[in-house]
Amino acid sequence: MNATDETLGEMLAKNGFSRRGLLKFAIAMTTSLALPPSMAMAMAENLAAAKRQSVIWLSFQECTGCLETLLRSSAPTIAALIFDFISLDYQEALMAAAGSAAELTLRQAVAANKGKFLLAIDGSVPVADGGVYSLTGGKSNVSMLEEIAPDAAAILAIGTCAAYGGIPKAHPNPTGAVGVEDVITDKPIVNIPGCPPIPEVLSGVLVYFVSFGRLPDLDDKKRPLAYFGTTIHDQCYRRPFYDQGKFAKSFDDEGARQGWCLFELGCKGPTTHNACASIKWNDNTSFPIESGHGCLGCSEPDFWDQEGGFYTSLAGAAGPGWRNTGIAAAAGLAAGTAAAFTARRKAQEPKE
Amino acid sequence: MQNFNFLADDGLVDALLMELAGLLDTLISDHRPGAIDLLGLPLSAACLAALEQRLGHGEITATLTASGTSETRETGFAGIWWTTHQDEAGRIVAMLIEVAEIPEILRASQADMQQARRNLLDATNFTLARQTK
Repeated sequence: MNATDETLGEMLAKNGFSRRGLLKFAIAMTTSLALPPSMAMAMAENLAAAKRQSVIWLSFQECTGCLETLLRSSAPTIAALIFDFISLDYQEALMAAAGSAAELTLRQAVAANKGKFLLAIDGSVPVADGGVYSLTGGKSNVSMLEEIAPDAAAILAIGTCAAYGGIPKAHPNPTGAVGVEDVITDKPIVNIPGCPPIPEVLSGVLVYFVSFGRLPDLDDKKRPLAYFGTTIHDQCYRRPFYDQGKFAKSFDDEGARQGWCLFELGCKGPTTHNACASIKWNDNTSFPIESGHGCLGCSEPDFWDQEGGFYTSLAGAAGPGWRNTGIAAAAGLAAGTAAAFTARRKAQEPKE
Repeated sequence: MQNFNFLADDGLVDALLMELAGLLDTLISDHRPGAIDLLGLPLSAACLAALEQRLGHGEITATLTASGTSETRETGFAGIWWTTHQDEAGRIVAMLIEVAEIPEILRASQADMQQARRNLLDATNFTLARQTK
């Protein structure tokens, strides 16, 4: 995974992609990044001439879900090749080296790409009690971050944990988990939140950085505006039902079956900024609301500790009728138990 | 699930046609191409269909097969092209109205032509080498 002098244009040509293919990719990326179409040609030219971008990826207090989702790419598209094209110089879960060899790799990668590499972080940074709750090679996450970040060109905080602390930061936050921006305040940081984040957003940010040598425009929470500029609600295909006042009242009522708005079931789409409703998941197959569940707001800070929980509506209504659901479930369980008991007793009765 | 058939917003279509007229003006006077990113606009399916109908079909349709299929066709207005790019899975990844003498993606690039020349020479040399054996 060492950097070479090969350009992206040369690498794509080797893999059978023409410049038209690269221009087409650039057109799609300008659409994705909400850039003017006229920038596609410049992006294609810059990408063709670009060299491998060094990325050093550190995993802190995390579940590996972010890395998992980013690795799940389909056919060898140019987007996948872009991921191949970055020089992933350090990633503990993916690299072959371990132990002291891995530590040496990290030191060498930082020294060789000083001031040029992108530092990708997934997972929150535990700072309580000197950061002892998450260590790599005996070194705390916070000390690793403070040691390596000054040599990075910029930092990509991948996933809600790295961006804002995420689930580890949820009350009562025993490890003192925080986001990267709470520790590093003097470096450009892009937050790519989501639990997990959308892979296309990371590829978009990488392509933008490789193409133009700078980070894309960000919102007030340091998220790329192109992907986080609107709410899930504004892009949601169920929005017309909201406008008409048609709401599902429980997860299995007629409204839910008709695909009505999930606002009253606690959907956080109106206050959540992300691109799930447009880019979707699993190769554009679906996203939570399309699968029948409201948005949890996972790309917003402190989403786990929202007042009222996931199923209380933003207007403060109680949400779905869990009590009735619970009674029905209990009644079903009782009926099932009684039936099983009767069946067993019958089975044990002596045959005539 | 209910299907809402939104009405086309003729005002929006008219505004886009006016913008295209402006872009065509720039192309004629300055030879500078332009484009409108249709996926970046809040257009309903009905609105998009109305726009496509108003622009009509011209004489040229070209299909590109590179990382999925793309189709670019001249509309009923010379110099205005409707281009749709699909990825390998058939999803639309970009939809543009381009205002150009010819859309950039149809041109053969210098790099591709140079590579083609090398390939041709290699093929010729291979044939010559085989014939002299």
